[in-house]
Order: sequence, then C-alpha cells, then structure tokens
Amino acid sequence: MQWLREMWTREGPGIPKDAPKKTGLALFAEILVREWWEMVKLNILFILASLLVVTLPAALVAMARVSVTFVEDRNTYLLRDFTEAFLRYFWRATAWGLVLAGGLAIGIHAIVAYTAGARDNLLLSVPLAIALVATAFVTVLACHLIILMVMRDLPASRLLRLAALASIIRPLPALAALAFVASLWLAHILFYPVSVFMPATFNFSLGMFAVVFGAHRAAVMVLELPPYRKPHARNAS
Amino acid sequence: MASISLKELNKSYGALTVVHDIDLEIADKEFIILVGPSGCGKSTTLRMIAGLEEISGGELKIGGDVMNDVPSKDRDIAMVFQNYALYPHMTVYKNMAFGLQLRKVSRDYIDAQVQDAARILDISHLLNRKPKALSGGQRQRVALGRAMVRNPAVFLLDEPLSNLDAKLRGTMRSEITKLHKRLNATFIYVTHDQVEAMTMADRIVVMKDGHIQQVDTPQNLYDRPVNMFVAGFIGAPQMNMLPSTILRRGEGYVAVFDGRELPLPAHFDQNRIAPYEGRELVLGIRPENFHELPPADIAPENLAPLKAVVELAEPMGSEVHLNMVAGGRNLIARVSPRYRPDIGEEATLVADMTNAQLFDKETERSILY
Repeated sequence: MQWLREMWTREGPGIPKDAPKKTGLALFAEILVREWWEMVKLNILFILASLLVVTLPAALVAMARVSVTFVEDRNTYLLRDFTEAFLRYFWRATAWGLVLAGGLAIGIHAIVAYTAGARDNLLLSVPLAIALVATAFVTVLACHLIILMVMRDLPASRLLRLAALASIIRPLPALAALAFVASLWLAHILFYPVSVFMPATFNFSLGMFAVVFGAHRAAVMVLELPPYRKPHARNAS
Repeated sequence: MASISLKELNKSYGALTVVHDIDLEIADKEFIILVGPSGCGKSTTLRMIAGLEEISGGELKIGGDVMNDVPSKDRDIAMVFQNYALYPHMTVYKNMAFGLQLRKVSRDYIDAQVQDAARILDISHLLNRKPKALSGGQRQRVALGRAMVRNPAVFLLDEPLSNLDAKLRGTMRSEITKLHKRLNATFIYVTHDQVEAMTMADRIVVMKDGHIQQVDTPQNLYDRPVNMFVAGFIGAPQMNMLPSTILRRGEGYVAVFDGRELPLPAHFDQNRIAPYEGRELVLGIRPENFHELPPADIAPENLAPLKAVVELAEPMGSEVHLNMVAGGRNLIARVSPRYRPDIGEEATLVADMTNAQLFDKETERSILY
C-alpha cells in the first residue's frame, strides 16, 4: 500500500502565483484535465435530473451553473450546487426553455420548408438563408441567455437584451462551441455502438462546458465585469 | 485567553514512561517551541495538549480549564502536522472548509473564513486545486490555512517545516513568525531544528529523555545554558567542551587545559567557582569565541592563546570552520574566511573567555547559573 500512499502524498510541481494565465484552447484543455472527473459526475447528475423530461431545462441550466464555476476556476460542491441551481432556476429555466425551444422549432421548420421550396423555386433560397441565419442566431442567443441567467439575477427583458448583445458582439466562440457539441454527438452516432458510453459519461457535461467556455467572455463583457474575473471573488456567483 | 498550564504531566506506555512530570506555564499569545532530539518526548507532549494522546498523569489546563478528559475537538485548538495531512481527493478550498462543515457552521461564514485565510497565506489562486498539484511549501500553507479557518485559541505545530527544502524552510519560518504576530494566538511548535527554535520562539523548551532541561528565551539559552546538554544542543557548530582543572591565581581563577592556563573572567561568580578549586570540570567555549587575532574590543585579561592542530577547514563563505585537535580533544573554531591555516599545521588561536561556561563533570550542570 506504500506506493498508493506515495501516489497521494507525493509533492506536485507547485503552481506559481504569477504564471501567465492560459488562454483559448490551452485553457480549455487545462480545465478539462483538472475537472474531468467532476464533469463525469455532472453528466450523470444531469441525466438523472432530466429523466422526467419536463425537468430538462432546469437540469440544463443547473449544469450550466456548475460549468460556469469550472470556467471561472472556483470551488464547487457538485451535488449541492447542482441541486440548488436546479431548484432555484426551475421555473425560469422551464419558461425560457419553452420560449427558446419554440423559437428554434419555428426556425428549423422554416429551414425545412424553405429548403424543400427552394428546390423548385430558386427565389426561396433568400428566405432560406434568412431562416438559417435567424435560427443560428437564436441558438447562439440561447447559449448566452442560459449563461447570463446563471451568472446574474436579471429581469427577463434585460436578460434577453444582454443575451442578444452578447450574441452580436461575440457570436463565433459560441458557434465554435456548438460545432464542438455537434461533433461530440456525431462521433457518438458514427462510432455507435462502441460510443454508447459517451452520452452516459461526458457528452452532455462536456458539451455544456464547451458552450459555457465559448460564451463566458461575451457574458462577462455585457455584464460589465472585469475581463478576467478574479476567481473566488465573494460576489462571483 | 489561551494560557496553557502543564502540571506534572506525564505519559507512559505500560512500564515505559516517555514524558516525566513536566511542569510548564505558557502565556496567552506566546510562541513557545519544544525542541530536542528525536525521542525526547516533545511530540508526545504536543499530542497530549492536542488531545491525540491520553494523559497518563498530571494536569493540563487551557485557558484555566482542566482539559485532561475534554475531547480534542472541544479544546479550541488546531494542529498542523509534519506531513500536512491534507485530503488528497479534496480541493484546497474543501480541505480548509472541511473542519467548519463538520461543525455545521453557516456557508457564508465558512466562505469568509476560507477566503480570509487564503488571502493572508497568499494561496487564493490555489483554492480550486487539489493537493497533488501543490509543492511542499504550498501544501504547508494550506495546512496552516486549515488550522487558521477554525480561529482557534491555540495553534499546535508538529515539525511543520521538516519536509521542506532548506530555502523554503527559511521563507516559511519568517512567514509563520509573521502569522503569529498577526493572529495573536498562542503557538506551540515542535521541532528538532534548533535554528527554527532560535529564530521563531518567544521562549524555548529544551527537552531530553522526557524531561524538560531548560525553559528560557533563545538568547538566554545560548548565553546561559543550565547544563551541558543545552549548551551542546543550542548553537551550531556546538559548544566545545574541554575538561579542565580549576586553579587559583591571585584574586581569580584559571582553567587549565592542555597545560595552558585559561583565565576565568572576573565577572564570574567566584563563590560558585571556589568549591571546584583543584578539581576537574568541563570548560565550554563556543566556536565563535576562538579568534585568529586578539579582538580589540575584548579585555586582554579575558583572552588566552590556545594551540591546536588543524585537521580540517570547512569554508562556509562568510566564515571558516576549523576542526582542530588540542589536548586530545576535538575543537571547532569559527574564524574569518581570510584565515586559512594548512591542514596539519599547529595553529595558535585566541580564546575569548568572556562568555565561557563551566559545568560540573559529574552532574553536567552549569556551576555559573
């Protein structure tokens, strides 16, 4: 058992206080390495919490709340924080979930309809392009809205306005995050049934983490917070 | 108010007694250090104060209340261990908060305490990291922080710097001293490192074989050791012990070593020396009291030449340690780095007797104090 004890008690390299903060994909990888086990647990929590389907929006928002603490490098008590966020945001998340799902459904329906029509009438490619852009915007807006909801308690109108603003000023990181999410699910589909473990272990939480990572900077900007929030700040929630 | 009183405190394991009837009064907000060689009972004493070892006999009071049978958690103390004892699966924040969570303290209070301790110890950037990523010094800070968040009246530190490298130990020494001043709490610190003891303590308790040898301020321990053990333990390199014979010369006395008469200063209590006239005792001279040339600021009557054969010269940068032999005894002298006698050469040094010590050969106790 000595080797096991050594493994636990061996000194690490240390963390210099003034080391330059990593950015971009390097930071993404660093957080992933640091929090991978928490993400696995978070994924399981999410699946359990969303089993009833009607709880899906609240579970999604609770997962976003925990993911924000990962990105902000703050301590989290996973079960406690997830449960609290689930209960706290339940009605807000459900209401926004219905609105945003409705918006996305309309967008997707329009895309499908205009795609079919554009085959016969080329002029319909214009509304198709508009539907594509609008749907993408609603998707990005949904990402920012969820992140902003768990970062600050804001009235609905202000929340929507800030989410729209964030989606306009920094849409690309959120789109990249959504592409990453899509690739996760694509991998799951392509490698099925070998990849059957993916949704059960990390697809949901890793996807949400990617979205939060992508949208966090824009959220910080529109909330007029310092660009690099100090971790563990008392008012950081 | 966290004064601590140990009255005839002892600890036995069956027939083996490892701590013998210790009496010690520790004042509120005092920084006291228990020092001694391995197995002298210092850690056992600390663990009895902490409540981690059962007290076999005697009385322990903290803040005036008898604590012999009070559980450790109710003694208003916090302990920092040599191996840090951090939970490897918890982040730094959770490690620090854990004790307060067990006490069912409010979340806001826990957060405030953890953040404050982290700020003081400059580990705010580590709060979301696990111990495996931290260096020894950072782990030590976390262990200190975990003790601090409980806001205890007494801090017990069991060789907290032993696992750190020399440079970091020096840094942490000064940080713990500053922390003590800042927290205004009573600190009881165990170490076998006399440098730690000398640099940090308000008072030092020197222990040997379960007995307290001397309790005093660092300078007094150095200048006025009560016995040969304390004289030898405190100071590096350690004090030279030279068997000498006391003879009377005029109004005063001399110690005869290796055929040379070393004058005993007039400020020594002559009445204490008188009974030893013609007898052999042990003359103690610290290495820094040997000089290659007579120092101008020392009265000439307190200086005496001493010849010794140089066996080894250890350059330390700011000084040279000369290992020498005189009268069949090994001597160490700390001299200027410019003085480099050849190995095997018989060098003549000047012994400054102003701060010499005299010990009874049988009892090993100082005859001066």
